Amino acid sequence: MTDSTSPGSRLDLKSEVRRAVASLEQKTTGSASSTSDLSIDEELNLHSIGWEQVELVSGVSVFSVPAGLWNWGQGEILGASSAHAQAFSHAISRIHKEAASAGGHGVVGVRIERSVHPSHVEVSLLGTAVRPIGAPPVKPEEVFVSDLSARDFALLMIAGWQPLGLACGASFVYAPRRQMSAVLQQSSQNIELTNFTEAMYASRESAMERMQRMAIALKGTGVVQVNVVEGPMPFATHAVGFAAWGTVVRLAKQSHQLLHPQMVVSMNDAVVAFDAETLA
Amino acid sequence: MSEPTKLPDVAEGRLAASSFSSGLSVSDFAACIDMGLEPVGLAQGYCAVRTASSVYFANAQQGGLGRSISPFQVSAGDYVENYQCPHGMVSAEHRMWGQNYQQPWIEATWKQGFTNAYARMVKEATTLGAHGVVGVVDNVSRIGQEGILEFSIRGTAVRVPGLGVPSGGPWTTYLAGQRLAKIIEAGFAPVSIVAAVSSVRVWASCITEYLMEGSGMTMWVQGAESTEVEQIVSARTAARSLVRDMARQQLQGDQLHGVELRVREHEYAKGDLEIQPVLRGNRIRRFKDFDPMPVPRLTVRLS
Repeated sequence: MTDSTSPGSRLDLKSEVRRAVASLEQKTTGSASSTSDLSIDEELNLHSIGWEQVELVSGVSVFSVPAGLWNWGQGEILGASSAHAQAFSHAISRIHKEAASAGGHGVVGVRIERSVHPSHVEVSLLGTAVRPIGAPPVKPEEVFVSDLSARDFALLMIAGWQPLGLACGASFVYAPRRQMSAVLQQSSQNIELTNFTEAMYASRESAMERMQRMAIALKGTGVVQVNVVEGPMPFATHAVGFAAWGTVVRLAKQSHQLLHPQMVVSMNDAVVAFDAETLA
Repeated sequence: MSEPTKLPDVAEGRLAASSFSSGLSVSDFAACIDMGLEPVGLAQGYCAVRTASSVYFANAQQGGLGRSISPFQVSAGDYVENYQCPHGMVSAEHRMWGQNYQQPWIEATWKQGFTNAYARMVKEATTLGAHGVVGVVDNVSRIGQEGILEFSIRGTAVRVPGLGVPSGGPWTTYLAGQRLAKIIEAGFAPVSIVAAVSSVRVWASCITEYLMEGSGMTMWVQGAESTEVEQIVSARTAARSLVRDMARQQLQGDQLHGVELRVREHEYAKGDLEIQPVLRGNRIRRFKDFDPMPVPRLTVRLS
């Protein structure tokens, strides 16, 4: 990468372009092909920490949920929670296998698509398998999967940390129906529907606890870039759900490496006074 | 057009005139000039195709009662998996068989449409004396009755002044502007855009149907173990690896970069799916070694 702050050291782009175009007239070298969904910036970031991309890999799973499960009951909707947990872990183990057989040590920038339907839960993972340049293959269980972008992965490694895998926790809980007398009594008041609030808290606690348990099982010290999806289930009037997932990390070096970032004033961005994207 | 790459006379006249058109944004245009790529014209290619209706309707019909008595006979070498009903004769409507199979006729239609449109764009670029086509945009739309697809591909043809006409035809890339500059600076030459599509049809077996509608018999009890829908998982996995392998076959030792994979699914009846992943990316070739990369310098933007 050229240093854009010192124009003197800049490559002569025009001659590079001529060289590139002229090179296409020659025969191909016939080296091993690779596939990747990374951008050139991400690839350069990977390369700067001594890693390279190998192959586009995916893992999918669909788990069935018993019909009618969402409408009546008490406490946690175990069938749905377990379908979600298993769909995630099956999809993860499939992407592990694909990555390992392609020679990858990990998968970065994993795009996670999950959807919960009344009768099934679907999870689909897609990312690029990566490895230290030229490194020999590892076993599927040693592969790590992370939804961090290649850029964040590089940053994490430079700071002395390593990603260990994805952790996910989900819980679906019934919000019990109020008694008829309560409904009538409360009909003319503004009231908190404690049945829904409590169901939200119950599902939040179970889901976060499950994610944490997965993180500890991977011998991680924390989970970064946690995504949270919560709220009532659109297809059921008395059920709420909470799902959280993120990348499990651990300190790989003796201590956290201070990065001392250099401050720059960017001249090309509009002024943003407040960024409300947190926890979005 | 009988000959897929013959240009209309009017197009040849237009392309011969001494002004250029370009689909690039101003910043991409400026970056191209900076790289020494001179825009010469907007190259375009179109092609409308239709899958033979006999094959299309035989396989796109509704699930459930519309299914035939026995599974489909798949040609050798294509992906196929059969699922047997474990129940025996339950009723005439019971799904006695289930099958996943690759649909090469859909893939062939798609390939024909894309390849023709691509060849026509490249032909226009060649007529313009271009070395390459940058900032390619492609689109597929469904028109009229089922099974008809219209492909359009266009991009800005560029020339490197002073270089001879390329013997293998112009190179093409989805990239333009700064992203193209970075690829070249990193030591890669753009070769061509790559697109591939695979198509897998799922005829749900009785078990798959029950699982997808949530009426799997073992699961009525609250807390019972949930069950994976193996047939669907298998079809989705196969569709994804098929499309990747098709793209790989076009690489010939080059790298496929910046891939975008979109999976389109259509459900005809419970568990009866048509899965169609479309993969697109840039084929690039290394023309010089990576410079040893410095560890990136971290910055905090005060904005």
